[in-house]
Amino acid sequence: MTAVAVVLVFRNTRTINVAQGDFAMIGAFIGMVLIKRYHFDYLAALAVAGACCVLIAVLVERLIMRPLEKADWLTLMTATLGVFYICHGVAGWVWGRDTKAFPATFNPTPVHVLGTVISQGHLINMSWAVGIAFALYLFFKHTKQGIAMRAMTDDPETARLMGIPVRGFVTLTWGMAGLLAAFAGILSAPILYLSPQMMDEVLIKGYVAAVFGGLYSIPGAIIGALMIGVAENLAGGYLGADYKTATAFAMIVVLLAIRPQGLFGIQNRRMV
Amino acid sequence: MSGHLRCQNVTVRFGGLIACNSVSLEVPRGKVIGLIGPNGAGKTTLFNVLSGFQSFDAGDIYYKDKSIGGLKPHHMAKLGIARTFQNINLFSDQTTLANILIGAHHRVPGALANMLRLPAASRFERSLVSQASAIADRLHLGGELDRPVRELPYGYRKRVEIARALAAEPEIILLDEPVAGCNDEETAELRELIRSINRDLGVTFLLVEHDMSMVMTLCDYIYVMNVGSNLAEGTPEGVRRNPDVISAYLGEDSD
Amino acid sequence: MQQVSAVRAVPMPASPGTMRPGPSGREAENEEKKQFARQDLFGILMLFAVATAFPFLPGMGTWVASQAALVIVFIIAAQGVSILTGYTGLVTVGHGGFLAIGAYTAALFSHDVMMDIALSAILSALVAGLIGFLLGFIFLRLSGAFLAIGTLGFAFFVGAVINNVPIFHGREGIFLPVNQVFGIVLGDRGFYLTSLAILAATTAFIFLLIHSAVGRALMALRDSEKAAESYGVNRLLYRTIAFAISAGITGMAGALNAHLTNYVSAEDYRNIWYSVDILVATVIGGSRQIMGPFIGGAFIVMVPFFLEEMADFAFILKGVVLIVVLLLAPAGVADVLARPIRGWRRHRLARIRGAAQSRPAAMPASETGGRLQ
Repeated sequence: MTAVAVVLVFRNTRTINVAQGDFAMIGAFIGMVLIKRYHFDYLAALAVAGACCVLIAVLVERLIMRPLEKADWLTLMTATLGVFYICHGVAGWVWGRDTKAFPATFNPTPVHVLGTVISQGHLINMSWAVGIAFALYLFFKHTKQGIAMRAMTDDPETARLMGIPVRGFVTLTWGMAGLLAAFAGILSAPILYLSPQMMDEVLIKGYVAAVFGGLYSIPGAIIGALMIGVAENLAGGYLGADYKTATAFAMIVVLLAIRPQGLFGIQNRRMV
Repeated sequence: MSGHLRCQNVTVRFGGLIACNSVSLEVPRGKVIGLIGPNGAGKTTLFNVLSGFQSFDAGDIYYKDKSIGGLKPHHMAKLGIARTFQNINLFSDQTTLANILIGAHHRVPGALANMLRLPAASRFERSLVSQASAIADRLHLGGELDRPVRELPYGYRKRVEIARALAAEPEIILLDEPVAGCNDEETAELRELIRSINRDLGVTFLLVEHDMSMVMTLCDYIYVMNVGSNLAEGTPEGVRRNPDVISAYLGEDSD
Repeated sequence: MQQVSAVRAVPMPASPGTMRPGPSGREAENEEKKQFARQDLFGILMLFAVATAFPFLPGMGTWVASQAALVIVFIIAAQGVSILTGYTGLVTVGHGGFLAIGAYTAALFSHDVMMDIALSAILSALVAGLIGFLLGFIFLRLSGAFLAIGTLGFAFFVGAVINNVPIFHGREGIFLPVNQVFGIVLGDRGFYLTSLAILAATTAFIFLLIHSAVGRALMALRDSEKAAESYGVNRLLYRTIAFAISAGITGMAGALNAHLTNYVSAEDYRNIWYSVDILVATVIGGSRQIMGPFIGGAFIVMVPFFLEEMADFAFILKGVVLIVVLLLAPAGVADVLARPIRGWRRHRLARIRGAAQSRPAAMPASETGGRLQ
């Protein structure tokens, strides 16, 4: 889930990608098929599914986002909404709309960490997420491409003038998003069980987390995700499980009311 | 002398940067006052302060001797202060008429009555529309009322901005670089229009401008700012000859 | 037959009264404009007349009436969204929340207190409107992406509350008693007609709103917030009003939705689908045209209807159409349909202007993509 949030931050390219969750879902399905039918090894399945998702993401970018480049962001977001619909439809059509279980991959014995009990699966997921996040962080800070991409989000025009291939990077961004989606999907599959709707709630929470962090900073998104997770479980403990989900959304409403740019968002110099 | 619009010792800080440093100026009723200075002098910031878009850290602004500092922009119109925008903040998808009509928004008596087309409100609407037509005619926009403004040439749009301001029936109009980007012809036309509005309707003007021909011929009095502070003030003649002003501009590029 | 014309959403001279005599060219122009307004009105009346007769035509069973009523529900809901996104320029991905609020208000009201569609619709509108007002206030400083997420969060919050707070009976749902209005028991056709009446009311309301000072203020906020504020548009006031009205209308749609099936359950209202469907309906139809929600609402309901077996394809089709519309006609289908009409009308106006004055009439260029008049 953290991974999803991280990816959403990618929407530095001005778009809100509603389909993000669905990329993940498709990735998960592909992974499942690969493992079940073709008996791939887990990691191999991950790789292949990842490649597929990247492909899909890039396809979306080329076919849909590119022509819409100049449109306002609402149009862009709605376009991804269209993709969202399509993904749901396709997934339902190809794989059926009921819920399925992901082939067991983790040892179900719980592990004791820092005083709480976590299943091994969760632990592995979290490690992946942290690892990926860290890798991304390094990427953006230290590699030439990473820095270039950051420049691009700040000021696309100037970036272009300086020879940065903005368009190519946009495609790259989407590709990365696709890859992360595949990870998110497959990692969450054992927990969430497969269905076209599996990522719907995750999608929302992912965005909530990203917004928490201000939609611009990756570490912010991670922190956001963590906070939401914690808050949810606390609320679950005190108020009863019924209120778990509600809390997350209440949080976001409250936060945005108080700090419209999220915790780490860039200050929009609002005058008076 | 109690002026119309006045600011006193206004200071605006952006973090460590001081955009305006204890700036004072005064716009007497019925006059055309200019505010000039090299780029970065803080004119636009001061302008935004005067129109309610920018908060300030010290000093105050007065209108008819009442403090108006801290008022939100939408109060300004009701007070009688209208402003135009340098970058043409017109409603580009809407028609000229629609743009002008919004200028009069603060004069609409009752929103609900207006919506329900109650007789008095309807009459008011009709008078608004005919008044808008009259304003458009005055600004030579008569035939373009139904055109979306984004189809209009640049010079026309500048005039629509002013038309919109007039619809507010203001006592004073703050003009933010009214002829920026205009050619000589358009500049001359606007200059005449402003002068006639000032003369015939008694509207006071404060304009921020870079175009010296405009400023020198149009203004009764000029304030010069440089790097955030008052540099000089005086009649056009006086300012033109002021050595400080000359050097400030020559330090940049003179007009 | 007069095809449904998309009524322009831009304020023309706001009232069809007589203008004070100006240059004679002006008079002729205004006469022409009044003619246009009359045509539009005629078009809409025809539409409603046909719609009223619809369920009584041979071959139309009562079941068709209830499907049509569903279309109306979506149209009204889309109207609500269009006020916020089309006319005020604020994004909402969470109107499903207001739909739910309206539906549950109606359900609880009808279940426990009294049963009358008119009353419950009004009540739902008020409750939803009030919450919308508060939401507008809370989200005052939000814009763009943040607002989208905020409203989305709101919708899910409502969904979660409905699902979990006992009074709403979560998944088991609440049953509503038989529909009646003013004491008359309504069958499917009756319900459809009642909904139609409500739709007529909301449409009239929106029309009046757009062509009034309030509408101008909202559109001003949409197009240039700073300019709008300079001229007296109080951002706080108008934003909250926009939210309130938008929420109220969609809430009313929610009430109708509840009465339509006589049943509400958290199953339907706690996911993303209503919010998204209504938004899609609004966008596809055209968020800035009065006819937009009509087209969008019809589309969104008809697609699953015609593709009954293959619900998955319904999804795909909706997505594809959405994307196609965005690529080719971002202002919505209604906008595309209206373009020839607009073009023709401007041509006529220009001719009149040209005839009255010696100045050569400007040939209006036809509009490029997506916008108002």
